[in-house]
Amino acid sequence: MAIRLDYIAKETGSNLARNFTLTFASILTVAVSLALVAASYLIGQGINNSFLGLRSDVQLFVYMNPAATQEQIDAVARELDDSPGVETVDFYDKERSYEEFQRLFEEQPDLVSTITPEDLPQSFRIKPSSSDADVVTALGDTLEAKEGVLRVEYAAEFARQVQRSVRTLNTWVLIVGAVLIGASVLLIFNTIRTAVFARRREIEVMRLVGASNSFIRLPFVAEGLFHGLLGALLAAFAAWGFDALWKRNFVNQVAFELLNQIRWDPSQLWSAIGIIFAVGALTGAIGSGVAVSRFLRV
Amino acid sequence: MIKLDNVTKIYKGEMVALRDASVEIEKGEFVFLVGASGSGKSTFLRLLNREERPEQGHIFVAGKDIAELPGYKVPYLRRNIGSVFQDFKLLPTKTVSENVAFALEAIGRPRAHIREAVPQILELVGLAQKADNMPDELSGGEQQRVSIARAFVNRPLILLADEPTGNLDPATSVGIMKLLDRINRTGTTVVMATHDRGIVDSMRRRVIELDHGRIVRDQARGVYE
Repeated sequence: MAIRLDYIAKETGSNLARNFTLTFASILTVAVSLALVAASYLIGQGINNSFLGLRSDVQLFVYMNPAATQEQIDAVARELDDSPGVETVDFYDKERSYEEFQRLFEEQPDLVSTITPEDLPQSFRIKPSSSDADVVTALGDTLEAKEGVLRVEYAAEFARQVQRSVRTLNTWVLIVGAVLIGASVLLIFNTIRTAVFARRREIEVMRLVGASNSFIRLPFVAEGLFHGLLGALLAAFAAWGFDALWKRNFVNQVAFELLNQIRWDPSQLWSAIGIIFAVGALTGAIGSGVAVSRFLRV
Repeated sequence: MIKLDNVTKIYKGEMVALRDASVEIEKGEFVFLVGASGSGKSTFLRLLNREERPEQGHIFVAGKDIAELPGYKVPYLRRNIGSVFQDFKLLPTKTVSENVAFALEAIGRPRAHIREAVPQILELVGLAQKADNMPDELSGGEQQRVSIARAFVNRPLILLADEPTGNLDPATSVGIMKLLDRINRTGTTVVMATHDRGIVDSMRRRVIELDHGRIVRDQARGVYE
C-alpha cells in the first residue's frame, strides 16, 4: 500500500503544532547535546592532529642567554657530555632555531618576517636517560645554575600536561553530551507518547477501519525523526560557529602557544556534522520508536 | 460467512466471557445478540474483528481462521468488517464528510475514489445536507448515521454493531434500524448486540441469546426473550 507523503507531512505538522512546548524542548535538547558531542569530537581530533603528541617524550630545553659566550656554551656542552643523566644532546644554533621557528609558524608569515635568526636563543635539546620526574628536575636545576643559561624548560612535560587537561575537559564535555542525548531520547519519547495520547481517538478509528500498522505509526516516528534532525541542523550551525570561533580566538593567536596547536581540517568539521546528523536521526528514531511500540497498540 | 467453533474467551485468567460457543452465521443474515450486561455480547463482536483472541476454539470469517491470523494481516481483515458503536466514535475536529473520508484515507484509497464515495454514502444515510457540519452540531441519531456511513463506506462484507441505539430515543432508533436493514439488504451480514426489546420484537430476525458467556438460545425470526 502506498502511504501518501502529504498525509504524513500533514499529520506530523499538526502534531508539532499541537505540542509546541514539548517539541521545542526536545529539539533544543537534541541541539545542545549534539553541539557538545561535535565540539568534543573536534577538540579530540585537534589534539590528535597537533604535534603535542609527537613531543610526548620527556625533553629538556636549555635556552642559552643570547649574550652567552662561546666558552659558556662549551662549558654547558661538556657538562652535558659528562652527565650520566643525559642520553642524547642536540644543539640548536641560531640558524637551526630559525629554521624550526619558520616551520612552526609557517602559517603566520607576519610573525616570521619580524624575527631574524639573531633574535632567537640558542638551545640544547636534551633527552634524559630516565623519564623519572625527580631525576629530570634535578638535571634541570643543575643546568639552570650554569653560567650563560637563560632558562630550562620541560617543554614536553608541560605540553603533556596541557594535553592531558584538554583531554580531561574534553572527556567531560563528551560525557555531558552523552547524558544530554539520553535526556533527548527521553524527551522525544515523552513528546511522542503525548502525541499518541492526544490522537488516541484517531488511532482507534484507524485501527477499526483497517489502517495498516505502518500507516498508523509512521507519522509518529516521522515526528520523532523530525525532532532529531531539526536538533541536528541547529547543532550543525553551532559546530560551524564553534569552528570559526576556535580558529579566530586560538588557532590564529600567538598568545595561546599550546591551544593554538589544537586545530582540525575542514574535512573533520564535515565528519563532525555527519556525526551530528546520524546521532540526531538515531536519537529521534529510538525515542519515537520506543514510544510508538510501547503506547501504540495496533 | 462467520463460524465460531467451540470458542472460549477468558479475561485475566478468571473472568469467562465466552464459554465453548459454537455458532454459524450465513452471508447476508441479520443477527441480534441479546443478553444481560456482561453476558458476552461485546466479547462476541470483539472476537470477530480480532480486537480479542480466543483462548480456545476457532473463528472463521470469510473462510479464514482469524484466531490464527498473523498480526500484520489483521488490518486487511478489518477492511472487510465495519464497526458501529453506542458512542459513535466520531472525530470531533473533523466535519461529517471528513470523518467518513478518514476511513478511506486510512486505508490508502485514492483521492478520486474518496471524492466520489463520500457524498454517495452520505446520500444513502440521508446526511448529504450536513456534510460540512461538525459532529457536535448534529443530533445523536445523525451522529450515529455518520458512524454507520463511515463503517459502510468501504462496502464491508460484515457490519458489527454494538448497541447502536443504546444512546438514542425510540423514534430515532427506528430510523437507525431502517438504515441497518437497508444495508443488510445489499447483502452485508449484520451482527448487532442490543438491549432494545422493542426493536428485536418488531424486526423478527435471528436472535442469539448469551448468558454468562454461554449461548442459551439461537432462534430464527426470534424475539427478545
